[in-house]
Amino acid sequence: MPVAAGLKVLVVDDQNSVRQMTRMTLEQIGVRHIHEAENGKQAIDTASLQPLDLIISDYNMPEMDGLGLLRAVRGHPAARRVPFILVTGRGDRELVVKAAQAGANNYVVKPFTADILRTKIEQVVGRLS
Amino acid sequence: MSSLDQLKQTFFDECSEALQQIETGLTDIREGHGDDDTINAVFRSVHSVKGGAGIFGFEGLIKFAHVFETVLDAMRSGKLAATQDIIDVLLPANDVLSDLIAMSRAGEAIPANHGAESHAALERLLGANSVVGDEGDDNTPAEDFADLDFMPIRSDAFDGAEEASGGQSFRIVFRPGPDLLKRANEPLYIIRELKKLGELDLVAETDRLPPLSELEPDRAYVGWTGTLRTAATRAQIEEVFEFVVGDCELDIAVDMAPLAAIDAEPLAVAAAPIASMAPVAPLAEHPAPSIVPAPTADAGEPPPPRAAAPKQVATTMRVELEKIDRVVNMVGELVIAQAMLGQIVHGLPEESSSRLAQVLDEVIHHTRELKDSVMSMRAQSIGAVFQRMPRLVRELATKTGKKVRLEMHGENTEVDRSIIERLGDPLTHIIRNSIDHGIETPQDRLAAGKNDEGTIRLAAEHRGGRIVVEVRDDGGGIDPDRVLKKAKAKGLVSPDAVLTEDEITNLIFLPGFSTAETISDISGRGVGMDVVRRNIQDVGGRISLKSERGRGMTLQLALPLTLAVMDGMVIKVGGQTYVLPMSAIVECLRPSRSDIHNLLGGRGMLRLRGNLVPLVHLCDLLDLGMPTDSDERVVIIADAGDGTRFGLIVDELCGHQQVVVKSMEESYGTVPGVGGATILGNGRVALILDVEKLSDLAVSQTSPLAAARVGSTDQQVAMVVN
Repeated sequence: MPVAAGLKVLVVDDQNSVRQMTRMTLEQIGVRHIHEAENGKQAIDTASLQPLDLIISDYNMPEMDGLGLLRAVRGHPAARRVPFILVTGRGDRELVVKAAQAGANNYVVKPFTADILRTKIEQVVGRLS
Repeated sequence: MSSLDQLKQTFFDECSEALQQIETGLTDIREGHGDDDTINAVFRSVHSVKGGAGIFGFEGLIKFAHVFETVLDAMRSGKLAATQDIIDVLLPANDVLSDLIAMSRAGEAIPANHGAESHAALERLLGANSVVGDEGDDNTPAEDFADLDFMPIRSDAFDGAEEASGGQSFRIVFRPGPDLLKRANEPLYIIRELKKLGELDLVAETDRLPPLSELEPDRAYVGWTGTLRTAATRAQIEEVFEFVVGDCELDIAVDMAPLAAIDAEPLAVAAAPIASMAPVAPLAEHPAPSIVPAPTADAGEPPPPRAAAPKQVATTMRVELEKIDRVVNMVGELVIAQAMLGQIVHGLPEESSSRLAQVLDEVIHHTRELKDSVMSMRAQSIGAVFQRMPRLVRELATKTGKKVRLEMHGENTEVDRSIIERLGDPLTHIIRNSIDHGIETPQDRLAAGKNDEGTIRLAAEHRGGRIVVEVRDDGGGIDPDRVLKKAKAKGLVSPDAVLTEDEITNLIFLPGFSTAETISDISGRGVGMDVVRRNIQDVGGRISLKSERGRGMTLQLALPLTLAVMDGMVIKVGGQTYVLPMSAIVECLRPSRSDIHNLLGGRGMLRLRGNLVPLVHLCDLLDLGMPTDSDERVVIIADAGDGTRFGLIVDELCGHQQVVVKSMEESYGTVPGVGGATILGNGRVALILDVEKLSDLAVSQTSPLAAARVGSTDQQVAMVVN
């Protein structure tokens, strides 16, 4: 059973406020190792530099959006196995379908509570003890 | 402030950026130079506002942003064309969004009907084109799409596939040729890049390394051999060596030692969600090419996309303003300490000080650069002020029934933030004036043979150590007859005064002047151009005006780059030391006696290259008593700020130096003629004179005595400094 405190999570969002909010939510769940990236490029760099247990990425970002990042991650030799949760807006069904096709492990709809995020993460990495 | 409050602040800061982006984007589209990227960027900005608003729970903001976003989405997907009519709905919508953000920021309750009109207009756009109606799921719980049957992929699926690199093993031999370094290539970088591809195990071959005495530093001697375990293809590996292929011995071969087959699993990962999703488009159209690393390296295969080679590190960071201000202050102190050091070095006997003086020169040079760098940190682009203007113009145009187009140039010009903060009000006022009094109604414009749409051009640029901001309109300009009549009626000029057209237009800067026959709520009440001028002067700027009757007018604001440190000329007069801002000094000279004339009315005049320049004794102006007669007296030709020049007679020029401006207003209030104080190298305080106000003082107290004294100054030598 994975321990929340042991998870290494990368949060990707171009909006600093949203990133920080996600970080706070993750901290509530008990996650301690949180990396941040504000765009796809940074995310790939971070993912290639250290082993990650999870990437939580926003969809709506300039230059490389969340789907682009997902595809890049899945094509990256070092990072392609890292579980990926895509953060989407409400009502965007098409996007969720696309994300699934591109290899996303799960999605979460913004805004989310700590409980929702925890459930989503558990569905991906297994129950958190 | 709790961390949540801090996050909200961050969010609102992001909103300001988003608003500006929306404004710029929509304006670009309206002007016809927008493309898909523009509309996408606008959409993203609105979407970000909505997303953040959702997280922080600003309901009113979410609702409005949602409709706004839906319209933009329809536009970017081509369901709605970006016509003028639509942009005319979107721009005001951005204003409403801006209001809602401001209200949310201030914690005010948003009135239920606020922006209702704009909201309705947006919905009409959607309705008229039968795009997605109101989404409805705004109120559904966040946990939606249940019907999609999205099966989350457990990461347990990855168990047993531990090694992050995987793939296959390559044997690599890399021996740089002798010239590789000379062609500016660096083996270390290549090895680092290789390492990024997977697990790298290299051994250096040092056998070609010569004894140290024979070693040429720019020649490569060391080679490497080893293995790389990677999921990358041979083509990807070769790409790393792309720039050195001709300059090295390179051999990349598949290492036959078999590795655990691991490629089945990621495929399953990709396939699993697809299998579990019923309503999905045909899969074949969406192959996931990047997921499948080729089990055998095939050089012909197109390399899968990978992270762009040059590593991008974050290039900006946020620093608290206070910290930067502290550095600015420290640099100020450093400038003072350095001036003191200079003074001491100057007093030493030359044989012992020459080396010291050299080093000091270097220190001065570095301090100057340090100062410039710190100042550039404080600098902000003037766009921060400009961004408020489009909305102002739109609103005023609607109110007055005029058609006005705003052009902005040089938004990226950087200005010290202390000046930015104080530029907003004057600019707002000038633009109000332009629309209220300058730009004519469409009918009048057509009648005058002009385009019915007026143009206001707002521009900023660096020019000669200052920032010049220009507001130009193509309206009716200033009517000199009307201005003169008004000024006479108000007793601002004597009834029989004869003034040039330029002098008349400049009357509008006089306190208490307002040409509007009726006071409108646009140009404000009782606040005239004199206040604008005062504001600009308060930050050490100058304002000048050019008007062409019937063709428009131009207001030019010349602002200093910074308020904290400035270039000053240290002077002595009547035994006291003062500093004059270099920016106001045109030249310094010792005129010959024959060039000085006494005119009727007691003014001394200096003949300078054919022009007459009025002369003033600084001694008199500052009330320092009778000027001492000296042969060494110097005349400083100064610019009074409005382009007029006058000569200041001083006793001595002590030199040019950077001075730190310390404000005195808090302690002493405003002293006419004094702009601040500074600390000199000898540790003494010197007053910084305000040349513009000195010129005003000179006009009001020209004494016949001064002229007489000028006449007695003999044997003067010309020395043009500037």
